[in-house]
Amino acid sequence: MKKIIIADDIVKTFGEGDEQCNVLDRISVEITESEFVAVMGPSGSGKSTLMFALSGMDGVNSGKVVFDGKDLSAIGDNELSDLRRTEMGFVFQQPTMLKNLNILDNIILPSMRGNSKNATKISEKARAFMKRVGIAELEERDITQVSGGQLQRAGICRALMNSPKILFGDEPTGSLNSKSAQDIMDIFSEISADGTAVMLVTHDAMVAARTERILFMRDGRIVSELKLPKFDGTHMDDRIGKITVKMLEIGI
Amino acid sequence: MYNRIIYYDILKSKAITLTTMIFVAASAMLVSLAAILVINLSGALDTLMKQAKTPHFMQMHSGEIDFARLTSFAQQNNNVDDFQVIEFLNMDGARIIFGDRSLANSVQDNGFSIQSEKFDYLLDLDGNIINVSDGQLYVPISYMRDNTTKVGDEAVISGKKFTVVGFLRDSQMNSSLSASKRFLISENDYAQISNLGSTEYLIEFRLKELSALGAFETAYVSAGLEANGPTVTYGLFKTMNALSDGMMIAVILLVSALVVAIAFMCIRFTLLAKIEDDYREIGVMKAIGLRVSDIKKMYLAKYAAIAAGGSIFGFALSILFKGMLLENIRLYMGESENSSFALLFGILGILLVFLAIIAYVSGVLRRFQKISVVEAIRFGTAQEKNVGAKRFWLSRNKLLHTNIFLGIKDVLTRKSLYATMLTVLVISTFIIIVPQNLYNTISSKNFIQYMGIGNYDMRVDIQQTDHISRKAVEIISTMNSDSTISKITLLTTKTFKVKTEDGSKENIKVELGDHSIFPIEYSEGRIPSAENEIALSTLNAEELNKKVGDVVTLVIKGKEKNLTISGIYSDITNGGKTAKAVFSDNSADIMGSIICVELPDKTLIDEKVLEYTDRFDFAKVSGIDEFVTQTFGSTISSVGKASNAAIAVALIIMVLVTLLFMNMLIAKDRYAIAVVKALGFTNADVRVQYVSRSLFVLIVGIVFGTLLANTLGEILAGAVISKFGTSTFKFAVNPFSAYLFSPLMMMCSVLIATMIGTASAGQIKISENIKE
Repeated sequence: MKKIIIADDIVKTFGEGDEQCNVLDRISVEITESEFVAVMGPSGSGKSTLMFALSGMDGVNSGKVVFDGKDLSAIGDNELSDLRRTEMGFVFQQPTMLKNLNILDNIILPSMRGNSKNATKISEKARAFMKRVGIAELEERDITQVSGGQLQRAGICRALMNSPKILFGDEPTGSLNSKSAQDIMDIFSEISADGTAVMLVTHDAMVAARTERILFMRDGRIVSELKLPKFDGTHMDDRIGKITVKMLEIGI
Repeated sequence: MYNRIIYYDILKSKAITLTTMIFVAASAMLVSLAAILVINLSGALDTLMKQAKTPHFMQMHSGEIDFARLTSFAQQNNNVDDFQVIEFLNMDGARIIFGDRSLANSVQDNGFSIQSEKFDYLLDLDGNIINVSDGQLYVPISYMRDNTTKVGDEAVISGKKFTVVGFLRDSQMNSSLSASKRFLISENDYAQISNLGSTEYLIEFRLKELSALGAFETAYVSAGLEANGPTVTYGLFKTMNALSDGMMIAVILLVSALVVAIAFMCIRFTLLAKIEDDYREIGVMKAIGLRVSDIKKMYLAKYAAIAAGGSIFGFALSILFKGMLLENIRLYMGESENSSFALLFGILGILLVFLAIIAYVSGVLRRFQKISVVEAIRFGTAQEKNVGAKRFWLSRNKLLHTNIFLGIKDVLTRKSLYATMLTVLVISTFIIIVPQNLYNTISSKNFIQYMGIGNYDMRVDIQQTDHISRKAVEIISTMNSDSTISKITLLTTKTFKVKTEDGSKENIKVELGDHSIFPIEYSEGRIPSAENEIALSTLNAEELNKKVGDVVTLVIKGKEKNLTISGIYSDITNGGKTAKAVFSDNSADIMGSIICVELPDKTLIDEKVLEYTDRFDFAKVSGIDEFVTQTFGSTISSVGKASNAAIAVALIIMVLVTLLFMNMLIAKDRYAIAVVKALGFTNADVRVQYVSRSLFVLIVGIVFGTLLANTLGEILAGAVISKFGTSTFKFAVNPFSAYLFSPLMMMCSVLIATMIGTASAGQIKISENIKE
């Protein structure tokens, strides 16, 4: 399997002098094509910071992150932006949508950069995704006129528009009720099954239990890792049990 | 407590506080300057006219004069306090030489006088009555201004040598709008050169009460006394003296009103942004029981401090700059007696600005009452409603680049947010375009048609000489054989009596001739074409209370002649009171004639002026541009200066407000910027989005500002201009400067300000602003 991300000994510090602390403390990790990964850990353990570092949204103080063969610290801001737009997808806990665009426009936004002429084609692609995640009828709605679950689905559509190699999710179900969360996780499973790597940051064992590999973080380090078989809709309790045991083992 | 609040608040928002203070200072400075100028102008004018003892009524007359009859009239008329007749020796400009330079090209009627005995004194630059010795020459102040000569120069007048020993202020003829200029020489010298020019008489009266002027004027006309020349009264002297500086003050007042409006906009914007920032705190303060008036006081205190600081700074600036603007008033009229009052009025003006700001801030803060405690504490922000631009979709946009689309969409969605910036840009456009158009209008060739001058290239004035009609015919016959001349017309001015509404008679100057060859602009009706038609200037029509179609009765050689008014036109020459007709008349003396000439080849104008000046030394030949420059030159240059200042001020305002606005917008939009950056938009993309916003708002602003300038601005400018005798007014727009150069200048300024103002967008870190 091809490695999409190789992080080698990365360090990220915040603060200065006596108050300096390592939020990411010499982390090395690899993510391969179509892998479904979860990062778990308590608040402040560095989960989100790891995601920002792996996606090039935030730089690192030392070590390096290689994405699809490119060293992120060696390329410029513009190239980083291009990479994020064309090869990565993001889904955040709160739906990061622009208030003055409707649902469809928000979804097609990244694909439309410098591409206005293809508006019709791009919109058709977006409608297909919207249909797939069950929000086909919402395209003209304002973002204030739909539920949190629906917005999160729209966020996933937006993340998929440029057929990314990897989809990052930062607590994507964190603000949803359990039914909506299940639905969203179903969609992530499908995406993963279609060949896109998915990396979710979560502290919810129910979410992590749907993935195949779980990285446990504490104080800026990956302290343990758990591999699970591909989720087939069964043995959910068993998977959650394994995760809980692991968490107890490492004390998080 | 307030001191601490103000201190920390100002420390936190230094740039915004400074910008607001700059606007307050600018408006305070302008209001104070306008007040200082008005008081100084009126004071200096009064002082000058008091020191010089300006005549209340002055009749110029050329020809025979009956001193005995005038003296007995003066003695018998109860209103007369003092009376004198002064000789004015009119001399051709070519015979007045300073160094190697003559006044041949001057359009003024230059002449010599001796110092008056009783009143109408010629003053030196310290305001003292000049005592002139033999061989000494005092020169009108306007020739100092245009560097024609300086003290110590030698002057040769018709071959006789003089030394320029000083400059004089002439309360009658100081203004460039006055057609004559008096030089002062001693009695002996006057006697020696008196036969070298033509003598004109200034018949002057001082009245016991100025209020009796109307009655006196009627009495003078009814008595049938000498009246072959213009009549000028005290009020007109005053107006002519005040005109140039008055216009400058009007422009300053206009600009200051607009800057005050902009200062208000700025305050409103910063205040609303601050309220939004503090929304939760305000909710909490209300929740714990603080009264709205107490919360208001905390905010008001800061603005009172800013307004006070700005006002003091503005006052200091106005004291610094007043010298520059008072220069012209000081030179032409001297120091004002009221200069100490002037500062007081300046302070009063500033106090007014200060109070207006406090009242305005207090008004904006009224919205505290509407803030819902629960909403403020729960959401921390006012729940914005996005309205408008619902049909403007990215998914249907194939035309605009996505970044440009996002910029425009944002403006359309958050209209009320951009309204402030739009208003400032509309006002700035207005400030740039109106003075520019005004300047362009009054300096354009078409404008002289409003001023009672036709659209010709060269004029030959034959005045203050004998055998005017014979001389005119002589010139015309030469011109007829001149192949470079395409059109000629002769206009002859005569004075007649006109019957007023109450049956009394007044003098009226009528210009006779064919007015269709070089027509002027008529505000109503048309040119007089039939023998029984007459056109009146606006001021004459107002005074006689006549409109187009009415009949006026002239008394010619004792016989009444009824003429129908065919049209009314604007005129600023000859005190604004003229008439035009075509009937032929051999009765009255000719006051003067002008021959108007059109040359198809405009490059020949200078050459022809020289040629005809050389050939006919009794006539004054001038190119029309030169004539206009010399007549309205100082007015035009004052407006020109004000117009340039207005452009500079407006551009500074644009840059400052755009900077301020963009800074705030970036702070407000940090989250949205982080989102688009996370989605793969570059810093350059973000910048293009913000530039699109400001340019879109600017373009809308320019369109509205230009429309407003050409409607409201034209009406305002027309209202100012109409005070000086014009009735209709239309802007003459220079499309290159108004519609191309100015917008380009504004775009560059806004573009640069936006680039600087949005530079901080590049520093926005996605991870810091997008984390939940």
